[in-house]
Amino acid sequence: MIVAERKGFEEIAASLSGFRKVLVVGCGTCVAVCLTGGEKEAGLLAAQLDMAAQLAGRDQVFEVACVERQCDREFLDELAARAPEFDALLSLACGAGIQFLAERYDEIPVLAGVDTTFIGVNDNVGVWEERCRSCQSCLLSTTGGICPVALCPKGMLNGPCGGTADGQCETDPERACAWTLIYERLSRTGRLENLARLVPLRDNARASLPGRRTHPAYQRRYSAHA
Amino acid sequence: MPEFSQALSQKEFVVTLELDPPRGVDTTRLTETAKALQGRVDAVVISDHRGATPRQSPLWAAHLLRESGLAVVLTMTCRDRNRLALTGDILAAGAAGLQSLLLVSGDFVTLGDHPGAKPVYDLDSVQALQLAEVLRAGSDLAGQALTGAPELFAGAVAAPAATPLEPQLIKFRKKLQAGAKFIITKPLAEAGQLRSFLERSGGVEIPLIAGVEAAGPEALDDAARLLADLRGSGMARGVHLSMPSAPERLADLLKACGL
Repeated sequence: MIVAERKGFEEIAASLSGFRKVLVVGCGTCVAVCLTGGEKEAGLLAAQLDMAAQLAGRDQVFEVACVERQCDREFLDELAARAPEFDALLSLACGAGIQFLAERYDEIPVLAGVDTTFIGVNDNVGVWEERCRSCQSCLLSTTGGICPVALCPKGMLNGPCGGTADGQCETDPERACAWTLIYERLSRTGRLENLARLVPLRDNARASLPGRRTHPAYQRRYSAHA
Repeated sequence: MPEFSQALSQKEFVVTLELDPPRGVDTTRLTETAKALQGRVDAVVISDHRGATPRQSPLWAAHLLRESGLAVVLTMTCRDRNRLALTGDILAAGAAGLQSLLLVSGDFVTLGDHPGAKPVYDLDSVQALQLAEVLRAGSDLAGQALTGAPELFAGAVAAPAATPLEPQLIKFRKKLQAGAKFIITKPLAEAGQLRSFLERSGGVEIPLIAGVEAAGPEALDDAARLLADLRGSGMARGVHLSMPSAPERLADLLKACGL
C-alpha cells in the first residue's frame, strides 16, 4: 500500500490562510490504513483547525468529507454537489489522490495535507516500512523476494557495497544491509547461483517518464481506430 | 610520465597514498604535498568527493599531480554520475592521459555534509568496470564508435573487513569477471582479515593492494605495525595508505617500517 504522513499542523494551517471555508477531504484506502488521512484523521484535523482558527479569531469554517478512493473518478464524483460551496479543499490522500481531486474540481484550490512517503508494508502495529520503488523492472524473482532497489540505499544490483558491517548498512547501523538479507535468504533456499550472474545496467527509460498503462483487454477501446 | 601499471610491473611492493582534492580553488597544499611525495610513493590515489563532501573535481587534481610527475590513480564514484557523466569523465581522463582509474560505488550521500543531495548510482561498481571495458574497446554503451578510445587501467575496491564476508566475495568475483586490473582494499584492521579474504576468494590473479588507514597521529604506530605485517606476509602487492588528516606525516610512517 501507499504510506503517507501528515504534514505538520503549522504548515497546514499556514497553507489555509486566506481561505474562509475549507473542506478537509479524507481518503478511505491506503492513507486510512496507515492512520494518516482516513475519515477519522480528517475529522480530527478539521476540529484542530477549527479550534486554532477560533483561538486566533479567524473567521474560518472547516467541514469534513471522506471518499473511498481519491484516485478514482467514480468516488470523487460523490463530492460534486458539496465541493463548489468551499473556498479550498484540503486533501489527505496520497499525492496521486490529491492530484486527481484537483483535476476533478479544477476551479477550487486543492491543498496537500500529507506527504506521501513510500509503497510499503505494515511491519507492526503503527509501523510501516518501504518495500517497493515501482521501478518497472522487478528483480524479486532472482533476489529472494527482497528488493535491492528499494532496500539498498545505493540500489546496487550486483551485490553489497563495502560498507556492510555486521550485516548492517553503512548509512545506518540500525538498518539491515539488503544484500546481506538477500544473500542469507538465497543461501537458505539453495539459490545462491542467482547471485553469480553479472546483472546488466538497468533500463531506466520507462521509469524516468510519467507512467501510463492500459490493460491489454482495453487497448482496443482506447486505440485511435476504436 | 610514470604510470601506476608500470610501478606494479616493476616493483615487488608498491606504496600508494590517498589524497583529497582541495575544498576550494587553492591547490597550493596539494601540489606541495605532491612535491614532497616524489620518490616516496609509487602512485597517488586521488579521492572523489570522499565521505560525500564536495571538493574540486578529482579530474583536475589528478591532472595537476600527473603534470608534477607523479603516477596517479583517479577515483571515480557512481554516486554522483549517471552513465552519461561516467562515460564523459572516463573519456576526459583518457584524453588527459590518466589511465589508472579506481571505480567505486562511493560513500552514501547522507554520510557527508550535503545529505540532501540526490544520490545517482545509475551504475554500480561492477557495471562501472564493464563500462570502462566497453570504452577501452572503442565504443560507448549505445554501441557508437568513439573518436579515439581511452587507454585505461581500471581497478576496483574490495572490502575484506566487511561482515558477512561471503556476499563481498561474490561481488569481488564479479569485479574480476568485469575486467578489474587491480584491487585496492578498504582499510584493514589487521592482516588476518586479508588472509581469510584471500583464502576464501578462490585466488586473485591481479595485483592486490592492501588498505591501511592512519586516521590520526596517534594511529601512526598501529598503521606502521600493520604495514610491516602486510609487507612481511607476501599477501599483497603493496599498501594503500589513507591519512586523511595529515598526508604529510607519510614520511614518518614509511620510515617507521623501513620503506
